[in-house]
Amino acid sequence: MTPAEIVTVMLLVAGCFFFLAGTLGLLRFPDLFCRLHALTKADNLGLGLIALGMAVHIASPWAALKILFIWLFTLMASSTSCYLIAKFQRGRAPKPSEASAE
Amino acid sequence: MSVWIDSLLAVLAVFLAVRCLLAPTLPQCVFLFFAFGLALALAWARLGAVDVAIAEAAIAAGFLGVLLIDALRDFAAPRTHGETAQKPHFLTQVLLGAGLVVFLYVALEAVWNVPDGGGLTALAADNLPRSGVDHPVTAVLLNYRSYDTWLEVGVVLMALLALFATGGKELFRRPVVGAVDPLLRQVILFFTPVLFLVGAFLLYLGKTEPGGAFQAAVLWGAAGILLHLGGWPVFAAMPRWTRQVLLTAGFGFFLLLGFIFMSGGSALFEYPVAYAGVLILIVETLAALSIAAALTAIFAYFNGMKAASVENEIPDPS
Amino acid sequence: METYQIYSLASAVLFVVGLAGIFAARHFFKKIIATKIMGGGVFLCFVSFAERDALAFADPVPHAMVITGIVVAVSAAAFALALSRRIQQLTGQESFPVDE
Repeated sequence: MTPAEIVTVMLLVAGCFFFLAGTLGLLRFPDLFCRLHALTKADNLGLGLIALGMAVHIASPWAALKILFIWLFTLMASSTSCYLIAKFQRGRAPKPSEASAE
Repeated sequence: MSVWIDSLLAVLAVFLAVRCLLAPTLPQCVFLFFAFGLALALAWARLGAVDVAIAEAAIAAGFLGVLLIDALRDFAAPRTHGETAQKPHFLTQVLLGAGLVVFLYVALEAVWNVPDGGGLTALAADNLPRSGVDHPVTAVLLNYRSYDTWLEVGVVLMALLALFATGGKELFRRPVVGAVDPLLRQVILFFTPVLFLVGAFLLYLGKTEPGGAFQAAVLWGAAGILLHLGGWPVFAAMPRWTRQVLLTAGFGFFLLLGFIFMSGGSALFEYPVAYAGVLILIVETLAALSIAAALTAIFAYFNGMKAASVENEIPDPS
Repeated sequence: METYQIYSLASAVLFVVGLAGIFAARHFFKKIIATKIMGGGVFLCFVSFAERDALAFADPVPHAMVITGIVVAVSAAAFALALSRRIQQLTGQESFPVDE
């Protein structure tokens, strides 16, 4: 294996680990706010690592730029939708501190 | 290794489909359907059908998913009229199950032993230089079988007209602007030009690589839907004639082109080789605009359905 | 076993799952989704045979037909969804009445 391949595999494995952690959080955390936290934080990092791994693998600046844009747009979309879901939930349920204290 | 990945993906798609149909609540059913669509899109990427993967993820999972979520507003409410339906008779269930098992066997046998017809790959490849584009799927869609694509644009238009026929007086009700979150409005403002540019890029890319009119249309339609949700009902705000021109441009231009070709003595949609590339690009652009407008209109109609029905609600006969 | 064989077998299973869903599901919503799953099975069958007939590239004709089919299926599903919403709004029914 070339050094580039080793770096790619390491980045992909690390990305998958964060995705796994985020999914575990989604399934196991008690309320919506914790789940959103797990999903947006861990999955965005995981996606970033996977995108970086793919950029190293492709090794073409133009394709790497496109991959970077994919990551940035996903970041924006996921953080906005996370904010909207949390805001909606807050409007109809008790405050996060009260809900998680139960 | 690759056999394992494919088997896993196939099992996942079937599993998600079963879970989706067995889901106890409708929201769960919708989100499992989303996941099923994305698993199918991955399967298509594995099969080398990148165009189909984009179309599936964008239209079948994305756009239909948006419509399904919007429809949940009507269906997700707790039922007031009670579950009156009874379980079917035991014998009916057994017969249905047995019939399905037999049918499954026949279907598996059919796909396993399908005769080798050779396909049309060689024919498509031979004619590629004369088609005006370099990507075989685009060549089939817009040159060899442009009849299909023409009628498809017509089907989307028909679906929109049929939607209008289902009722509700006010076709495009404007959403309440004050209720939209300011952050959401800013993000939508940022994403609108991005979606438009990426759509145009995909449209042009269709000449040589996976991409093309439908993929571009969905991105432009997504921009229209987002703007509608952000309190700018772009499509509804247009003058009536602009809406009509936008909706019919793709279908009409196709028809005009076919008419010109036929009056010139060639077959319907038999592009002259020298101009095929340019004509296909124009047709694709207009078709994409029409489909995007129709998708936006379908969503706008869906989004206004609940509000429109309140006024002319028929009282319950009981 | 070749890649296309795995997916063509899966497509037959998906078709039957969707068919069973159409018979078994009561709610309009689920019936529409069941038809979509059935359609997904048919499309998967098409694309898997396109892969079998690949030379330099996969057979583009089934690909183009599936893209067309996806858009048409979604249009039909949107219409069905609008009809079922309208029925729900006007009559309150969410499934077909059952004959006694």
